[in-house]
Order: sequence, then C-alpha cells, then structure tokens
Amino acid sequence: MKILIIEDEPGLQQSIVQYLMSEGNQCSMASTYAQALERLGLYDYDCILLDLGLPDGEGLQLLNYLKRLNRTEGVIIISARNSIDQKIEGLRLGADDYLTKPFHLSELNARILAVVRRKSAHGERHIEFKEIRIDLDAQEVLVNGKLVYLTKKEFDLLLYFVANKGKVISKSAAVEHIWGDDSDMADSFDFIYTHIKNIRKKLTDAGSGDYFQSVYGVGYKFMEI
Amino acid sequence: MKLFTRYNIILMAISLFGLLLIGSLFYRLLGYYLDQQIDHDLVEEIMEVKEYGSNGNFYQPHEFEDLVVQYKKIKKANPSSSYADTIFYNPVKHHTETARYLKTELELLGQPYQILVIASKSERQEQIQNICLIILIPVMLLFALVLLVNRILLKKIWTPFEQLLKNITAFNINHEVPYQPVEMPVAEFRQLNKVLVELSGKVKSDYNEIKLFTENASHEMMTPLAVINSKLDNMLQSNVLEKEHGETLVELYKATSRLTKLNQSLLLLVKIDNNLLQDKEKINLKSLIEEKYVYFQELINGRNIHVESVLADVSIYANQQLLEILINNLFSNVIRHNYDGGQVEIRLDPDKIVFANTGHNPALDPEKIFDRFYKDHASEGTGLGLAILKQICNRQHFLLDYTYHHDLHTFIITFKH
Repeated sequence: MKILIIEDEPGLQQSIVQYLMSEGNQCSMASTYAQALERLGLYDYDCILLDLGLPDGEGLQLLNYLKRLNRTEGVIIISARNSIDQKIEGLRLGADDYLTKPFHLSELNARILAVVRRKSAHGERHIEFKEIRIDLDAQEVLVNGKLVYLTKKEFDLLLYFVANKGKVISKSAAVEHIWGDDSDMADSFDFIYTHIKNIRKKLTDAGSGDYFQSVYGVGYKFMEI
Repeated sequence: MKLFTRYNIILMAISLFGLLLIGSLFYRLLGYYLDQQIDHDLVEEIMEVKEYGSNGNFYQPHEFEDLVVQYKKIKKANPSSSYADTIFYNPVKHHTETARYLKTELELLGQPYQILVIASKSERQEQIQNICLIILIPVMLLFALVLLVNRILLKKIWTPFEQLLKNITAFNINHEVPYQPVEMPVAEFRQLNKVLVELSGKVKSDYNEIKLFTENASHEMMTPLAVINSKLDNMLQSNVLEKEHGETLVELYKATSRLTKLNQSLLLLVKIDNNLLQDKEKINLKSLIEEKYVYFQELINGRNIHVESVLADVSIYANQQLLEILINNLFSNVIRHNYDGGQVEIRLDPDKIVFANTGHNPALDPEKIFDRFYKDHASEGTGLGLAILKQICNRQHFLLDYTYHHDLHTFIITFKH
C-alpha cells in the first residue's frame, strides 16, 4: 500500500514510517501543509495520515482540498486534541477515522487496514490466515469451516492481532484497543493474558494451530510457526 | 450575632446605664434641695419658738402643718443645733412618715429645754416623684423612638449590603455569570462593591488562565508521549530483545500509559469545567449500566468479585458523554479498590444510583476523597477518577455522597428533580 504521512513531529513521523514499511507498505512523508499539497499533486495514495496541527496550515483544509478533487484516499486524522467537535468536523469533511495521540502503532496499522478495506470497491469482507477465516460482516470466526464462538472482545482482539501479524503487540496496546481510553484501568494488564488464553484455547480446540507467542511478558505476537 | 443586634444591645446597655446614673443623680439633687428647704423652714420654726418663748408661751404649730414641736427639760442648755432625717408618727394622718428634724437646746422661760422640731417630708417626696416621672416618661418615649428609627434606617441602609452578600455567595468561579455589582448609595459600600467587582474579575481571569495553561500543557505533552509510545512499539519488534529488556519495556509502557491517562483526565476535567459538554438527551440508565457491566465483566470475573445489582428502569435527561464517564468511573472505582473475592452492590432507584464495594481501606474521609490527586499509595490510578465524578455531578446538578457502613464503601448519586 502507498501511504502518505503528514506529521510535523519528526520522531513520530519516523516511527510510523518504520513500522508501516516493515509491514511492506510504501511511505511518503510530509512535514508541512505545502509539502503535503505537493505530494498529493504528484501521486495517488491508498491512505493518508493527517496531523491537524501543522506549522503552516490547518489540517482540516486539506480535507476540503481532497473533497474538491474527489480523491478517494482513505484519511485518518491523528491529533493531540481529543475533542468530540473536532472529530465530528473531521469526519464530516470526509475523514474516515480519527486517532488521538498518543496511540500505538499496532492500533494505527489496524485502523489503516480497516479504512483501506472499507474504501476499496471490491473490498474483501473477510480475512484469512492459514486455516482461520474471519468474517467481518457476520463477525464470525471459522476454523477449517467450523464456527468458533468468540465473545465480542475476543473477536476484536483476534482481529487486532491478525491485522498486525508477525508484530509484537504490547499488553498496553491490547488493553487500550479493548477498553478504549474512557476506562481508567492501567492495572488491567493481566486480563489480556486471560483473553489470549481463552482465544488460544477456542482456536486450538477447533483444530487450528497455536499462533500466539508470548514475548517476555511485554506482549504477544501472532505469527506462523 | 448580627451587627445590627450587637449595635442595639450595646446602645441599649449604655443608654440604660446612663439613664440610671443621671436619674439617680437627679433624684439625689432634688432630695438635697428639698432637705435644704425643709431645714430652712425648721430654722424659722425655731425662731417662732424663741419668739413665743420671749412672750412667755410655748409655741405649738397648727395641726395641718405636718409639724411637731417637742419640748424636753434638760439640766443645761448647750447652744448647738443638728439636722437629720428620721421617721415619726404623724398624729394628724395617724401613720408614720419620713421626716426631717432640727434638734436644738434653748433657755425658755428661764429653763433649759431641748427642742425637737419635726417636719414631714412625705408631701415633698411625692412632688419629687412626680417631677421625675414627668421627665422620665418623655425621655423613655424618645429613647424608644430613636431605637425604632435606628432599626428602620439601618435596615434600609443595609439592604444593598445584604444584596451584595447574596451576590458574592452566588458568584461561582466556574460559572459564566460574573459577579453582579449592586447599586450602593453609601460610599463605603460602594467601595466594597468596586473592590469585589475588580477582585472577582481578576479571580476569574486568573482561573481561566490556569485552565488554559493546564489544557495547553496537557496537549503539548501528548505529542512527546506519542513519540515515546511509537518508539517503544518499534523497539518491541526487535529480534535481539533480552528478558530484562522486556521487563524494562513493560515498566516503560505502564509509565507512559499512566502519564497518558493522567493527561487525558486533566483535559477531561478542564473540559467539564469549561462546560463544553452541554447537550442533554434522554438516557436510559438501566441499559447504560448493563452495557458498562458487560464492558467490565472480565475485570470483575478475573478478580472473583461478586456483583449484586438491583436496577429499576430509569431514564434521565442528561449529557450522554458525561454519564458514560460517570458510570465508567463508578465501575473502575468499585473494581480497583476492591479485594479479590470482594463484593459490589449496584442499585438504581428512580432518584439515585448507589455503588458500594468492599475494600482494603477503612472508612475514607468524605471531605477529602473527591479532591484531586487524593489516593492511597497502593493505587495505580491517576487520583482523578473521583474528582471527575464529583465534577460531573456538579455539572449535572446531582448530589454525590460517600458513606461507609457494613464494611461497604458506598457512593450515592442523587438526581435532583
């Protein structure tokens, strides 16, 4: 995928690029509004990551620009401002998602995949990983065609790991993915362990391989053995 | 004590004391003057006695003069005379009266006599009493009038001051309405009013500045936090991680997450303070609580916490986002501060929500638990959860109470209708 990262903080920009490149994406970077316009004039992208507070312009204007040109890129706003109004305004202007800083790169990656999947005309409504098939519309998981009953949170978690397959996902990222930022539950790390254990058991019971790997107590990796 | 009452008490005490003092002085002075007059009369009687004596008679006054002259033979007459008060039996009126006498010794008809002239004071005393009354009654009336006028006048003068007090009390640093100045005819009050207007304006602008500062500081911290977070995420992907690196990363993630949470909570507090979440809609509390219960289910089950809930079908008119945060915080609180295998009671009544939980701590100080950053050292929370709860209740005009009984920490939120 081709992704344009419009972000003025070099440290963050570089981290995002590193993570997304390792997922096999092509990344372009823009640190200013002017640079972003220039890039957009030259190339088409699959997804655009847009920071709203740019040094030379308001990111929301860029959404207007894309809309005027009927561009079809998926846009994810990444902003330090967690304001409902701004979210609504951004989504109204054509953004597809809104991610508040700070975020985990695995979360960003999962959101990018979701947006691109939604945007593409012949978007596949299911994801396959070896013998596991995840049906996004029915919210079902099949192993070798056999239905596996997962709770809502287990389903979300599995989808999250599959979207970031081969990557280590920290417990912190998993907690935030499931419980969001409303809940003030920093001490809920251990519950991720229980969730993963349950998912693993349900999948292996249905005849799938065990693709979860624990990484030094920091997190888990979902990968081919 | 009210200034007005205090002033009146002092005024009355002093007036009463003054009145008594002046009254008694006046009475004494009159009495002295009366005695002088009687003494003068007595001397005249003695002269009469002498005159009668030189004519060879004993003088006896008329019956209606309230006067008695007594003669007593003595051996030798000393030319002296003395005045004094006494009590005597009035033979005319047939009762005893206060009186004044003059005792002197004279030679009458060649014989030494002690002569005692006694004059009644009763009539004169009555006169004094009447005079006193005639003066006292108007004075008392005047006094009462002054008090009454004082009362009315002071009340009138203090009315704007009381309005001013009311306005200061109504002044809330969090509300949009500024301090309402009051029209003051009295110069001192006018000055007070002016000072208050300036002070409240200053307080308000300072407070807003602090809020803005908090907001900006928190926002500014989000970007560096995002950098740290993303760097950690990338570091985690490294293949050369050792076990101790993993442990360090866990700690770093936890600290970053806590810092993020803290920042988000501060921003939320500012947002609630600024009254940015105002839209109200009808919210079914029962389904909201049930929904949040599912959300927290794993955390509850994971700690073997036994939940008992009695939920009535209640809907209220409030801000959706704030209520979600409210219920979230209540749940987080009863789970976090519980022990494994503990108990939680949730009750939803038409007029209130009650969340109660067992916990390690004994009863907490209800004055302090809603303060920002009040928490026990063991807690991994931000210390802002209950402060946010309090702030939301303030904004939605709910009453928030904390009690502790039967080993349960109980939070009660009462909706006002």
